Amino acid sequence: MGTSMRIPASLRDAAEIAVEHFQVAPSTTALTADALRSRLEALVLQAALDNHYSENPKQRPSLGDLAVAAAELDEHPLASRPDLLRRAAKEVAKRHPHADADDVLLWAEAQAAMTT
Amino acid sequence: MTPPRTVVLDNEAIQALRSTTHPKHARVIAHVQVIAQRKRKAIPLDVVAPTAVRVETGWDRRAPAAALINHLRISDAPLDTTIANVAAEITGRLQVSVADAHIGAVVRAVVDHGHVAIITSDPNDMAAVTDPVPVTIVSI
Repeated sequence: MGTSMRIPASLRDAAEIAVEHFQVAPSTTALTADALRSRLEALVLQAALDNHYSENPKQRPSLGDLAVAAAELDEHPLASRPDLLRRAAKEVAKRHPHADADDVLLWAEAQAAMTT
Repeated sequence: MTPPRTVVLDNEAIQALRSTTHPKHARVIAHVQVIAQRKRKAIPLDVVAPTAVRVETGWDRRAPAAALINHLRISDAPLDTTIANVAAEITGRLQVSVADAHIGAVVRAVVDHGHVAIITSDPNDMAAVTDPVPVTIVSI
């Protein structure tokens, strides 16, 4: 594998601007490496979880489980209303089968705001 | 309401991830799945295990039984000189275990990067060792 990578000039220019004006990283190389590392970490983590679910299908969390977990991690006020979040997850999944936990939280929060 | 930048695992959270038969396994896996979803959206988010907690739970990364948890991108937060000093102060003040004191010291070390959440079965001890740092305590 080569030690250099070709990336589009416009992307490289944007990275240089971000480093120079927004101080997002010490260098464009650091910014590129961080982004690549983060992306790879996300892929590896999801692959590990997918493998775990394929070996243990009953361990796969439902969208409702994920919405509750997201609310707990964020200390969201709806974390104390798991039943509402699970109902919200079922409604969201009907229209958006690829929705994630944060989509459900946002939807539930908006619904709660409209009813108060 | 504050999304965490760092998630710290305590003893039972690690035990739950290590064993598919642990009664809280599915619950903690759901938290890890949410973290995975956020990482996919390029949201910076680290999951750490203080090494004293890892010792307490018997998590040896070389053991075949650790295959699943080893793949979940959980970093070690080592008990280095600086952290050990803070943990020693916490232990002396609160008479808590080394592992709990290590959690308190790690929280103080990483909070500058952003908000911290702790997944724990012992919310009272976690509140004590992290005080006065504001943290989210996820009780399992």
